[in-house]
Amino acid sequence: MVVGESVAGATTVRRLRALGHTGPLTLVGAEPGGGPNRPPLSKHVLDGAQHDDTLGHALDGLDIELVRVAATGLDPAARTLCLADGRALAYDALVLATGAEPRRLAGPGQRGELVLRTLPDAQALRARLDTARSALVVGSGVLGMEVASACARRGVPVTVVDRQPPLERVLGGYLSGLLTARAEAAGIEVLVVDGDVALVGDPVSGLRLPDGTVLSADVVVTCAGDTPCTNWLAGTELAGPHGVHVDEQCRTAVPGIWAVGDVACLDTPCSGRTPFWSQAVAMAGVAAASVLGLPPSGPPTDDYFWTSVAGTSVKAVGPLPVHGPPDDVEGDPDTGNALLTWRHDGGPDTVVAHGRPITAGRLRARSRAGARSSVPAPA
Amino acid sequence: MKIIVDRARCEGHGLCEDVAPDLFSLDDDGELVVAHEGDELPEQSETAARAAVSSCPVAALRATP
Ligand SMILES: Cc1cc2nc3c(=O)[nH]c(=O)nc-3n(C[C@H](O)[C@H](O)[C@H](O)COP(=O)(O)OP(=O)(O)OC[C@H]3O[C@@H](n4cnc5c(N)ncnc54)[C@H](O)[C@@H]3O)c2cc1C
Ligand code: SF4
Repeated sequence: MVVGESVAGATTVRRLRALGHTGPLTLVGAEPGGGPNRPPLSKHVLDGAQHDDTLGHALDGLDIELVRVAATGLDPAARTLCLADGRALAYDALVLATGAEPRRLAGPGQRGELVLRTLPDAQALRARLDTARSALVVGSGVLGMEVASACARRGVPVTVVDRQPPLERVLGGYLSGLLTARAEAAGIEVLVVDGDVALVGDPVSGLRLPDGTVLSADVVVTCAGDTPCTNWLAGTELAGPHGVHVDEQCRTAVPGIWAVGDVACLDTPCSGRTPFWSQAVAMAGVAAASVLGLPPSGPPTDDYFWTSVAGTSVKAVGPLPVHGPPDDVEGDPDTGNALLTWRHDGGPDTVVAHGRPITAGRLRARSRAGARSSVPAPA
Repeated sequence: MKIIVDRARCEGHGLCEDVAPDLFSLDDDGELVVAHEGDELPEQSETAARAAVSSCPVAALRATP
C-alpha cells in the first residue's frame, strides 16, 4: 500500500509493478483529482488555463486500487491505516509518500494568504494576477523566483523580499548574482532585508519589513519553504520535524514501513530532506525494490535540479550550492547561454546549463567525467 | 497505444530518454525525437512508453489507449 498520489507515490506503484509485484496494490491520495505534476504549476499554469486538465500522473495499466480519501492515522503494530471516511485498511508493506505543504506566515485568524502547492492554489493565484496591478512575493528561493518571473511575464510589477539574495541558499553566491541580474533586467525588484517579515491586513494586503516599513500590493504570495506532511502520523514514532527519517533503502525505523519523496529525510552522510522531483523518483525506485526484497537499481538520491528565472532555464547536476566563480565557462553567462563547471576534489563536478538546451543525462555524464579525471593517476 | 507529445510544453529534460532510450531521444538542439510518434506502438514497447510518460516532470507526454 502506498499513501500519497503524486510523483513519489505514483512512481513507487509503477516501479513495484515493473519489478514483478503481481499482488494487490492500493494507492491512497488526498487530492480530489489526484496530485498534479507540480513543476508546471509555478510556470505555464500561471500564464493560462490550457494546461490545467493534463497535469495528472498517469496510472493506467497498473491494476491498482485507487482510494481518494485522506489517511488520518496509522497503527503500525496492527498494520492498519485509518481513513477520513472511517475505514481502516490492512497492509503488509506501507510506503509513505505524503509530500510536503507550504509553510504559512499568517497569524491566527488572518485570512487571504496565498501559497502555491496544488492546482487550486495555482488557479487562485492566476485569477488574482488577471487583475492585479502589483505583487509581493515572500521568499526568493526557487518557488519565489518562479512566481516573481510569472508576475513579470504577465506585466504585474513585482517585488521579492527575503533575508538572502535570490537563490543564494540553494545555488550559491555566483549563480545567485547571475540570476539576480537577469531577474532585475526583467523588471523584478529584489529586496534583501535583515530579519523576518510579517503579513499585514485581514485579508492580507501587504508586508511589514523588519524596520517597520509596510509595503502594500494587490497580491501577496508566501513562498517561504515547505514542511513535510506528517501531522497524520502523530502518535507513531515515525514523524520528526524534518520528516520521516529513512535509511539508504528508504526504510523507516518501523518494520514494514518505507518513506519516499518530500516527506522523507535521508539519514545518510551529506543528505537530509531534498524536496525536488528527481530525488522523489530516485527514492521511489529504491523503496519499491526494498519492499520486494530486491537489490536497489541505484542510489536513493538524484541531484538533477532545474528551475527557470525570468525566461532563462537553469539545469544542474552535482553538489550545490557552489561558491565562487566556475572553473570552466563555455559560452556567455551574462547573456544566459552558458555551460558552467565547478570541480571538486575527488568527487563529481557541478555542471550547470544556464539557458542551454541540454538533457539531464548529458549533464550527468559530464559531471561524472569530472570525477574520473580528478582521481590522481596511479604512480 | 500511441504516444502524444505536447512540444510546446517539453522543456528538454530528457528524463523520458533516460527511461526509454529506444523510444525517446533529444537532438543537440534539445528537440525531442520520438519513435513511432502518433502511430500504434509495438506491444513490447508499451511498458517502457508508460514509464517514460510518467517520468516527464511537466506532463508533456501522453499515452492513448
Ligand atoms: C509549484 C511547484 C513547482 C515545483 N517545481 C519544481 C521544479 O521545477 N523542479 C523540481 O525538481 N522540483 C520542483 N518542485 C518540487 C516537486 O514538485 C516535489 O519535490 C514533488 O512534488 C515531491 O513529490 P511527492 O510525491 O514526494 O510529494 P507531493 O507532490 O507533495 O505529493 C504528496 C501527495 O500526498 C497527498 N497526501 C498528503 N497527506 C496525505 C494523507 N494524510 N493521506 C493521503 N494523501 C495525502 C497530498 O495530497 C499529495 O497529493 C516544485 C514544487 C512546487 C509546489
Ligand atoms: S521528459 Fe518531458 S520535458 Fe523532458 S524531454 Fe521528455 S518530454 Fe520533454
